[in-house]
Amino acid sequence: MNTTTDDSAVGNAVPTFFDVCNEWHKAMERVEKFNRFLTTDAKIAQTPRELVWTLNKAKLYHYIPTVPESQRKQVPLLMVFAIMNRPHVLDLRPGHSFVEYMLGKGYELYLLDWGAPGPEDKNLKFDDYALDYLPRVVRKVKSHSGCDEFSMLGWCLGALISTLYASLRPDDGLKNLILLTAPLDFSERTEGAFTRWTKSNRFNPNIIAQKLGNIPGEMIDSGAKMLKPVENYIGSYTMLWDNIDNPAATEAWHSMNTWVRDIIPMSGAAYEQLINEFYKENRLMEGTLQIRGEQVDLSKLKASLLNVIAESDHITPPCQSERVIDKAGSDDKEVFRVRGGHIGIMAGRGAEKNTWPHIEEWLAKRSE
Amino acid sequence: MSSNSETFNPFDPTGMLKDMRDASMDAWAKVMVDVVNTDAYADASGAMLDAWLVSSGPFRKAVEDTMKNTLASLNLPSRDEVTRLAERLTNIEVRLDDMDAKLDEVLSACRSSMDNSGN
Repeated sequence: MNTTTDDSAVGNAVPTFFDVCNEWHKAMERVEKFNRFLTTDAKIAQTPRELVWTLNKAKLYHYIPTVPESQRKQVPLLMVFAIMNRPHVLDLRPGHSFVEYMLGKGYELYLLDWGAPGPEDKNLKFDDYALDYLPRVVRKVKSHSGCDEFSMLGWCLGALISTLYASLRPDDGLKNLILLTAPLDFSERTEGAFTRWTKSNRFNPNIIAQKLGNIPGEMIDSGAKMLKPVENYIGSYTMLWDNIDNPAATEAWHSMNTWVRDIIPMSGAAYEQLINEFYKENRLMEGTLQIRGEQVDLSKLKASLLNVIAESDHITPPCQSERVIDKAGSDDKEVFRVRGGHIGIMAGRGAEKNTWPHIEEWLAKRSE
Repeated sequence: MSSNSETFNPFDPTGMLKDMRDASMDAWAKVMVDVVNTDAYADASGAMLDAWLVSSGPFRKAVEDTMKNTLASLNLPSRDEVTRLAERLTNIEVRLDDMDAKLDEVLSACRSSMDNSGN
């Protein structure tokens, strides 16, 4: 009896050859999974949609409604994302998608995808995006939905373009404007690394655009990643490794990484304009910005305005989005501050509990 | 009784290593964010970018010239010619979109006049 007891005690303390093999096998499985998540693409942007308009690289999608017509909101919502990233982050993955959420609440949803500019688009400026492309998109949204009014949600540089359009064409039927992390005010010269980098005399966007034509996606991506180098170049991968056996966490990481890796160039002229006229000269807030000869006056913006600010945003610090609420001419305006980062507030874990419901509730009251 | 003492396990070296790794990464992250937020970093990165553009310029030009000559010798259109063609296509697309808009207006006017005559 004693001998048997001693054997089992030793057996518990010292791993057997089988245990070692088993652990080795598990470790190899983890490595294989890690490698797969790094080198493959997750299925993102899966919500069914139809293409209703194209011009050059830009595409307008209409999402197939998921609720009966009687339960749908009257006013369609047009979503406008930034020009240097794909808009798939708005429809990241089934079960965690802003598009899916809003469709479930009865909205007619349209998404503008600016597409990737080619060499022939290197002269595209914000003038073209705001006064050529966007008015055409709006016309199509109106004719397709059969509604003369519409709401618009702009995110990052998409919010900048939306703001320009809303100020220049206030009578075009825009009823509600939602700005997400909108980089509009660059008066604070020390907040945000982008502002600091671009004010340096050693940084000349004109030469960069002249030499490169369009700004390569890799350059924009590395610039954004260098704002938080340790988190982006190391932390992101250690987080994946630590959670490699957690399917929910790895699925979220994989879909986000798929979106992050899908980089596109930015038109050279738009880049020059962004750095010179917005970052360096702060023309929009100073009231000196002219778009195709028209003065951009924020006081002419009449649509109901919801300004969503991410409190931990390192790309668009809160100070760059705050002042628009004072300048806008809208009678109905609200600021919504969310804890989170530039992308996290809409695509992070807390988005469906905080940001999406607030946006939906605000919009629902104004979409009947 | 703190949470640290509850989770601390002296017989788990990997857990200890992970804690050390996380602590050092947090420290490095803060240092690096401070570094990239300085004027010195902004000047240095601007100078590096400038140097790269200047030094790679002749190489890029040589590649472009070689490509242009190769395409010409193969009787294929050059990059500039394809670009010009793409610009013309975009202009045609713009015209088509203008016509689409006009058509929408005509259809809308027809519908409203039919509604009026029906009334």
